[in-house]
Amino acid sequence: MIRPFKYSKPRFLREALEALEKENTRALAGGSDLLVEMREGKSQPEHIVDVKAIPELSCFSIGKDGITIGGQLSLNELADSKELGQTCPILGDAVRTVATPQVRNRATLVGNLCTASPAADMAPPLFVLNAAVVVASKAGEQRIPIQRFFQGPKKNCLTPGQLVLRVEIPPCSSGRGVFMKKSRVQGHDLATINVAGWANPQDGSLRICIGACGPTPVLLTGSDELYQRAVSRDELLDGLAMLAQDQIAPIDDLRASAAYRRHLVTVFLGRMVRILFPEEGGTSRAS
Amino acid sequence: MLHEIPLYTISVEVNERTYTEKVPAQMTLLQFLRERLCLTGAKEGCGVGECGACTVLLNGKAVDACLVLAVEADQASVRTVEGEARDGELTLLQRAFIEHGAVQCGFCTSGMLLSAQSLLEKNPHPDQEEIVEAISGNLCRCTGYVQILEAIEAVALGREEGG
Amino acid sequence: MSTDQEYRYIGKGISRLDGLEKVTGSAQFVHDMAFPGMLYGKTVKSPHACARIVSIDISEAEKMPGVCAVLVGRELPYKVGIYMIDKDILAKGVARYQGEPVVAVAARSELAAEEACAKVKIVWEELPAVLDPREGLALAAPLVHPELASYSYMKGVFQPQPGTNISHHQKIRKGDAEKAIDQAEIVWKTQFYNPPVQHVAMETHTCIAHALPGSQARIWTSAQSPFTVRNLFSACFGIPHQNIRVHVPYVGGGFGGKAGIHLEPLAYLLSHKAGGRPVKLTMTREEEFGTIPSRQGLYSQFTTGATRDGKIVSLIATYIWDAGAYADYGVNVGRAASYSGAGPYEVPNCRIDSLVVYTNKVFGTAYRGFGHLEVLWGIERNMDIGARQLGLDPVEFRRRNVLRPGAKTITGETISEHTGRVDLCLEKVAEEIGWSGIQTEEERAQARDSGKLRGKGVALLHKAPAMPVFTSSAALLKFNENGSVDLLTSITDYGQGTYTALAQCAAEELKMPIERIHVPWESDTALTPFDWQTVASRGAFMGCKAVMAAARDALQQIKETAAQILRAPVGELVCRDEAVFVAHRPEERLSYREVVMGYSYANGNSIGGPVIGRGHYIAQGLTHLDLETGQGLPALDWTYGAHGVEIEVDLETGEITVLNLATALDVGQVLNAQSLRGQIIGGVVQGLGSALLEEFRFSPQGRLLNAGFVDYKIPTSKDLPRKMSQHMILTEQLDGPYGARGAAEHPMISIPGAIGNALCDALGIDFFELPLNAERVWLGIQRQRSVLQNTLPRAIMLPQAIKLPQTVHLDRGGG
Repeated sequence: MIRPFKYSKPRFLREALEALEKENTRALAGGSDLLVEMREGKSQPEHIVDVKAIPELSCFSIGKDGITIGGQLSLNELADSKELGQTCPILGDAVRTVATPQVRNRATLVGNLCTASPAADMAPPLFVLNAAVVVASKAGEQRIPIQRFFQGPKKNCLTPGQLVLRVEIPPCSSGRGVFMKKSRVQGHDLATINVAGWANPQDGSLRICIGACGPTPVLLTGSDELYQRAVSRDELLDGLAMLAQDQIAPIDDLRASAAYRRHLVTVFLGRMVRILFPEEGGTSRAS
Repeated sequence: MLHEIPLYTISVEVNERTYTEKVPAQMTLLQFLRERLCLTGAKEGCGVGECGACTVLLNGKAVDACLVLAVEADQASVRTVEGEARDGELTLLQRAFIEHGAVQCGFCTSGMLLSAQSLLEKNPHPDQEEIVEAISGNLCRCTGYVQILEAIEAVALGREEGG
Repeated sequence: MSTDQEYRYIGKGISRLDGLEKVTGSAQFVHDMAFPGMLYGKTVKSPHACARIVSIDISEAEKMPGVCAVLVGRELPYKVGIYMIDKDILAKGVARYQGEPVVAVAARSELAAEEACAKVKIVWEELPAVLDPREGLALAAPLVHPELASYSYMKGVFQPQPGTNISHHQKIRKGDAEKAIDQAEIVWKTQFYNPPVQHVAMETHTCIAHALPGSQARIWTSAQSPFTVRNLFSACFGIPHQNIRVHVPYVGGGFGGKAGIHLEPLAYLLSHKAGGRPVKLTMTREEEFGTIPSRQGLYSQFTTGATRDGKIVSLIATYIWDAGAYADYGVNVGRAASYSGAGPYEVPNCRIDSLVVYTNKVFGTAYRGFGHLEVLWGIERNMDIGARQLGLDPVEFRRRNVLRPGAKTITGETISEHTGRVDLCLEKVAEEIGWSGIQTEEERAQARDSGKLRGKGVALLHKAPAMPVFTSSAALLKFNENGSVDLLTSITDYGQGTYTALAQCAAEELKMPIERIHVPWESDTALTPFDWQTVASRGAFMGCKAVMAAARDALQQIKETAAQILRAPVGELVCRDEAVFVAHRPEERLSYREVVMGYSYANGNSIGGPVIGRGHYIAQGLTHLDLETGQGLPALDWTYGAHGVEIEVDLETGEITVLNLATALDVGQVLNAQSLRGQIIGGVVQGLGSALLEEFRFSPQGRLLNAGFVDYKIPTSKDLPRKMSQHMILTEQLDGPYGARGAAEHPMISIPGAIGNALCDALGIDFFELPLNAERVWLGIQRQRSVLQNTLPRAIMLPQAIKLPQTVHLDRGGG
């Protein structure tokens, strides 16, 4: 049972920020994680600040400068956006794997990030897209790279009085992305592992992020160099697998053993690379 | 712990009727519907948004009522299974559920119906994959889903006759 | 064989009678019910698998606002149980599993009850726990129930072994199994494991109890068997039956989990202590997993002997059940699965020892299939492994051994041509999946490059209702003023479609439209006639038999009145289209309506009276099983079946996709085509859960780790086979209603075996443990090269210590 608390739904950002400075106060957007935590007694806030009436959190734009997604946007609002699907299909692919249709009608992208689960399905694509989280406090706005936002299992970098306004994604017109998720059933499930990859032949960058294999999603370092150096797809794949095995730190849990996760990472890196670089042999940087 | 539990006045339209009620913040929309309004069609199967037995339509969208606070539904419109039939006339979907054997124990049925209904209102002629997806957040242990999918498909293909 | 054309309703796809209530949300489940002044119960549960209760302090809890009663075990001198009376209503002295209720609170709201529970202080002393039934059999194992010798139990049926953890030892002895093994041309040994799993009915267990003055009790409960609740409740408290009234309205699924008595005694005691206010006690989903009983785990072991040409000559099987902390139905699961424990095969020499072993885990109870899914997982994999030893096609090996007319079962029952045809089920599914034999290594090697391997497998099944010899049903057909009928039964329809089948039966027999038959959706022990239990695929069989008898009785009453009016002998009258008339003068007819409330002549003289048809049926010809040999007649009817599957395995991830799944059952006669199809598909998908996904996971300390839907996954609409088909074989059951047999449990029974066999066909690897989740399959693929086929993973080796039956500890002090 959820224990009693005080509820407010400010219409101005400043009000919300003030309220959030108080001890034992939590922001409520979709509620799909927070209310479960409260029901299970894992979290017992005294104040809940509903942020769904704050105009600054309702922005949603897709343009030449990139994509901006406000804190109120539900996952299904993203899934239903044809424009987003065309501009950045990798986000749409990831969104549709999160939880159930009902939860996606409530849960927000920002909430998914704020929970900071190592298995968060929206994290890997945002990591490889180089997204940033814009956070407000009474002191002003701050732009935090998503990698820094994730601090540890279920731990983000927010301090009391801070609220995530939006996520900003740089332009992603040049390049190609892939998202993949392995879970125990075809139906809704947390990720056993999830992976996202983004290759940009123009600037020779290859970014790969692996979820559920460490305290936070793991953005592989060294993938650019490999991409630029590799003469064949197989060579790239072998190199990436080695990098990944070196950088991930999966654990045994109810969803899988660490060993199986390690194996899946190699398998899914392979599948991902084959989609990113469909031609046998080369990695087609020239195209 | 709070010594005095604060109450909040909400005004919610449920099945086209407006209710103004004072509720504590911790009351979920599911509790509000079941305990305050005695609309017990939505069920609690898990309380954590995993089973879909409490699915209702909130401003037209399927949601788990166990994961919505009643205060969040202030000024919103809610549809529950009790509001689907009009003047004793079942919806096409309700009729299809009966005719296709889509109902067994019935505990998941209300939620199933509303998930499917929200799909059909958004997309009157969904394909099979879309139908499967639409009810994928509604667990059923009795039917194995097939007759439920067939009932929805019959409506989607216009095989169920109107009126 | 009867044809459908003869019947107006039997065999037709009549839609559920309660469809309207369920699609409009107006069907009331106990989950939905509330009464004025009603309180809410919550419990404090043991955090340990096994621990002594050093002290309980409820003083702060009692002072919490809204609290009306706090109960602890020591104030409750009651024990409850169905076959073995071994369970306290709240743990006393020792808690025997994590999740066992220790303190209970009734308060004015759920929140107040929960907050009071948080204030209860319990000091625990952890004790060594028995977490593995194989270890529980060791001489030095701690005893889960040191007081076993003092417990009452159903004598002549069960055999607890005081001084051990064995709550029941079922023996089946036919011929000389050891000698036949020694002389067999080919002998092979196998071992298997099934984990404990949960039923996952969508409505969790819930009840409302009202303690009334004068030792009276009213109970509304989400249960399968109102009279069993009443009977066990009476036995527990010594309250006479007539003082206890049990209501069962709509029930949100059961699957065996609601067969017996669960929360009702505790809710009643809370109501009593709270001064007689009604108390509602509802399990959360987490409690449904961790507190309410589950399906017990099983370790099985087989030694099989056959002739070189593929005739089985002997089977020695040991079944070790992980029964958990209390016996409940578990002892009977261990018994019933034994008399089916050689599969649907003719086995001339057989020895089965089935040991139901107490452990410090959430306890086992009935679950759709009642032990048969568990034993048949091993039996059907064992058949495929045997076929390989013999160099035979697995379908052919089965063909040579299936029970056919004239064969004797392992309990000595002779199979007749009306018992059912498992051979036809086998042929049907083999045909449906295009069976062409096990793949060769070369064929597999060719496919391996694609990264996906396909495989096919078949598995057979059989099951008879597991029930006492005296099991009975009754039905009343009560005519209304307009000539319509209320059909009263205490069978519970929690989704199976039984009430619709009973109404079809009543309409057929009474010669009237089904629209005029009404089945009230509530059983009430004070108003509806006795029925033993709704379990074991017996409801439609025995219920229809009772309805048929009630219809005969009602028609006789109608005819007796009509005979006077029409001035004709009763024997000359016939009934058709809701009317009674002399056979050759149909134009001079009396409608039922004119007769059923009595008939008035023109001058006012009246005859007859309200017609109430009364019918009953008691299981015919069953005998107790001999305690030492298991010989006897346990089966009302045997339903045979088979599954055939084709799967695809992702070699990289180990993930299985079911491409095609065919099911054939010898149902004798279809009562309702639509609900039978629903039962089969639902059962098959539930079986896929057991085969591929479901298992309880425990910590090394015996704590249940996946008590909820986040980490206990059941199939969703996205997890279905690409294709499923259902096929009925119709070998008339002579004493079945219209020739029908039960078919509710059977669809899920051999799904794991069929999938396991297909997996072996695909990969050439034997799997011995369920579930066949992607990681387990992947591990098997990894081990393929390093481990010889047919050697067993150490994890499921049985201890040497239990060589049966000579070892001292098993025979000591038998009951």
